[in-house]
Amino acid sequence: MLDLASIQGAFDLLTSSASAWVFVIPGLLIGLFFGSMPGISITMAMAIFLPMTLYMDFLPAIIFLTAIYTGAGFGGSVPAVLMNIPGTSSAVATTFDGYPMARSGRHNEALGVALAASVTGCLASYLLLLFLIVPVSSVVLKMGPLEMSAVAIWGMLLLGSLSGNSLPRGLLAGVFGLLLGTVGMNTAGYVRGTMGVPWLLDGVPTIPAMMGLLAASQLIGLVNTKYLIEDEGSRKISFAKIIGGFRLSLSFPTIILRGSLIGVIIGAIPGVGSSISNLLSYSETKRNAPDGDSFGRGNPKGVAAAEAANSSSEGGAMATMLALGIPGGGATAILLAAFATHNIVGGPSFIANSKDIVYAIILSNFAQALLLLGVGLGFVYLAGYIVRVPMRFLIPSVLVVAVFGSYAIDGTISGPITLVVFAILGWAMVRYDYPVAATVVGLLLGSLVEGNLLRTWQISGGDPAYALERPGALLIFALMALSIGLTAWSARRRRRAAIPAAGSG
Amino acid sequence: MTMNRSHRIVVNWGHLALLAVIGSVIAAYLLDTRATSLRVNNLLFVQPAALIGLLLVLLVVPQCFRRRPAGAEAEPAQPLSHLAKAAGLMAALVALALSMERIGFDVATFCFLLAALRLCGERNWFVNLGYSAVFTAILIYGYGTIIPFPFPLTIL
Amino acid sequence: MTTNITRRTMLRLASGGVVAAALAAPTVLRAQGVYPDRPINVVVPFDTGGYNDRLSRAFAPFLQERLGQPLNIINRGGAGALLGHTYFLQQPDDGYTLLCTSAAPYIPLNILTQDAPFNLEDFHMINLPSQDYTLLARSAESDITDIGEVIEKLKADPGSLSIGVQPASADLVNLMLLADANGIARDRLRIVTFDGGGPARNAVAGNVVDIGLAGGQGFLPLAEKIKPLLVYEKVQRDGWGGKLVTELSGADTAFVYGSQRGWGVHSSLVAGSPEIYDTILTAVEATSKDPKVIEALTAQQLATDWYGPEASNAALASTARVMEQHLDLLKGA
Repeated sequence: MLDLASIQGAFDLLTSSASAWVFVIPGLLIGLFFGSMPGISITMAMAIFLPMTLYMDFLPAIIFLTAIYTGAGFGGSVPAVLMNIPGTSSAVATTFDGYPMARSGRHNEALGVALAASVTGCLASYLLLLFLIVPVSSVVLKMGPLEMSAVAIWGMLLLGSLSGNSLPRGLLAGVFGLLLGTVGMNTAGYVRGTMGVPWLLDGVPTIPAMMGLLAASQLIGLVNTKYLIEDEGSRKISFAKIIGGFRLSLSFPTIILRGSLIGVIIGAIPGVGSSISNLLSYSETKRNAPDGDSFGRGNPKGVAAAEAANSSSEGGAMATMLALGIPGGGATAILLAAFATHNIVGGPSFIANSKDIVYAIILSNFAQALLLLGVGLGFVYLAGYIVRVPMRFLIPSVLVVAVFGSYAIDGTISGPITLVVFAILGWAMVRYDYPVAATVVGLLLGSLVEGNLLRTWQISGGDPAYALERPGALLIFALMALSIGLTAWSARRRRRAAIPAAGSG
Repeated sequence: MTMNRSHRIVVNWGHLALLAVIGSVIAAYLLDTRATSLRVNNLLFVQPAALIGLLLVLLVVPQCFRRRPAGAEAEPAQPLSHLAKAAGLMAALVALALSMERIGFDVATFCFLLAALRLCGERNWFVNLGYSAVFTAILIYGYGTIIPFPFPLTIL
Repeated sequence: MTTNITRRTMLRLASGGVVAAALAAPTVLRAQGVYPDRPINVVVPFDTGGYNDRLSRAFAPFLQERLGQPLNIINRGGAGALLGHTYFLQQPDDGYTLLCTSAAPYIPLNILTQDAPFNLEDFHMINLPSQDYTLLARSAESDITDIGEVIEKLKADPGSLSIGVQPASADLVNLMLLADANGIARDRLRIVTFDGGGPARNAVAGNVVDIGLAGGQGFLPLAEKIKPLLVYEKVQRDGWGGKLVTELSGADTAFVYGSQRGWGVHSSLVAGSPEIYDTILTAVEATSKDPKVIEALTAQQLATDWYGPEASNAALASTARVMEQHLDLLKGA
């Protein structure tokens, strides 16, 4: 499991090149800044700074890039809380409760909860990685389509619980999102629903659509409000309250641990990662919380669940990259490229032969997570001033930033057009009490669900007995059933406990 | 089919329109998918999901019609000015997205900010002009330095 | 001593920052002079992080030294490179826009299956150093012995093995050619479609599918987790040691190469501004042959071999011809 000699070696590596540490804080700041700009992805930030690392030694280069990774991972939650803008798909679940908290004047607390959950999630994920890097990586390649379908269906459970006041409307919003998520070329090469628009071949651009549905629609609906927070007294920027949020977050150890575990495992699966893990963690937390009904209206537990999972996905993705040499996404592809420039190729032999470097990377990420605490506090404090800006300035400014961000994703007008279409759709849906969040979740899951159900069908030839050959998938389904069963049981117990109490009162 | 005379059916036309849009998008998508190919590799997920979606639309349609006692006061509707402002803002957004590549990001952004600030209630034109100009410049140079794509500019 | 190092690294950081800023700054029109007198754009029709993106970013620092102007990488991903290729051709053919792409299979695919608004002749390839090939492999945990066993099993029952492959790819064409050569019914094969070569390779390595076909170079990091069964090449590559397709089905057997990646310009540049084209050609050739560049790129598993325009364009055209013959396979599985 733990190789003490290698850990000693890692310490020597880290302490011998003190200059490496110079890059942590700039890296975190770059990451925070880029991550908080809508439309600027972690990958883009790292790609822009990759050429710079050519002139650095190996360890400083990797520390610099992973610091950007860590910073950008948290950066996305700032606009998610303050503006309802998920700058990346990994911050979607953060908006569900973060933004309602901000609107009711609990912005300091929400940001504090998010920061603390991110930092602890990141720490926990690297701690898990220290022990689990080899087993996790051997599981990753075993994830076949049936297992992935199970994960996707688990994610779809969230659609039901986001349904709001009317179940049919909620389900319709979710199914509509799922269908929109399958537009374009499917996994077998069939092209549907593109109306001849070339860029729709890759599907509806997810991030502009999410920004339109969640953020732009909100802002349009707020056109008559004077300030984001109606009550003037609540518009304070308070360090004490951020710290309060911190403490609050740490009082949910189960939520953060569960989020980290989900984050590491889902984050390790190539091509899935943090955009799904934050949804799963939110969904599980909501279902298991005694106050599950208040989720979506500003429950700090929701913020903690989402942030713990999306930050810990970084650790999972790093596990796959280090142990298998497979990039799970754009960010790890850039890291692999940086490895390669220093003649280091990830993969099983790398883990076996260079344990000291692996542990050095893991240990330096501990340090980064702790430093993020300090740097993030300052960043969050400054960002909080947004709530003091009058809405007549804020609405146009944020809309235009969202338009630029949607253009920045791939440099074409497809982003802004998608944003506007979904802003109008979102505005209408909010107006008639449809949960836009369900549409967003559907949009994210659509092609994952379709692709994996399809592959399951192809691989099994339609024979249900195939499931018996996949014990892993059965295990996931069993866990899912157990989780739902436990929820139902505890809900029933709570109801029973509540009835006599009501009777005696 | 006799109607109780003391009740009146109130139709929520806006909701009905939204449902019509969602329903027709789903139906059109289903038809397009079936036109592409009828093989399982194409229909496996989309066809059942679209049929469920259409069923849900039918389930929600009745919610657009509500009975209200004849004597009851009409619900306090949102003031028309609010709707007009939201519509104006959406029109400005559409104009921004459609024009930014043609007239340049700088000009389009500036014009959008000018119009949107006015719509959102900034009455002082000097403040409006100044803010719009400064914010446009920050945005163009800010995003210009960090994104790896050029964008069309006219003045800046 | 520590402060000294720190200051030096800080200086490097700062200079790198300036370069990054300069690269990304909005292009400013300057007076026309000797080519090149302003930064040059390199269009990569894929998102950041892929092979072409890595190739362009690794090659650019060396190429810009020779051209004397900074190179600015522009990623225009989407729709199987259709958007990026279209964007590239829309740029003026003045030598200030270069292309770094997987010319095959994407340019022919755009033309054959996506109604692309361009022809193969609109592109001129300066050099396609990376020529990938299809590798048919199984998981290291599987007990299939060799390609002979695979063919026998498929002959007995085409649905007996699950086969992982990317739809509309050279790999699928190669699979079908193998089926045809051995009299195996194409439409009874149990094909499992993946969204790219990477997922298909992972499925092979994890023993999720019985066999899989994908680009051979991408299999390298997974070498310990797979066993190669058939290499679609005339000569051994990358030390796989699996059977060559020419050994299996004869020297004149039909097969297609996988991705052919590298550098291109507008065809109209070659005819319209021969001096500018020559400048670019000379710079790319010299950079590709520079030992320092070869060392740097090889370390990143990126190709820099020099084949030149003639061989590169011929290879692309020949791939395009074979793909056209198998058009039916490229339109949905």
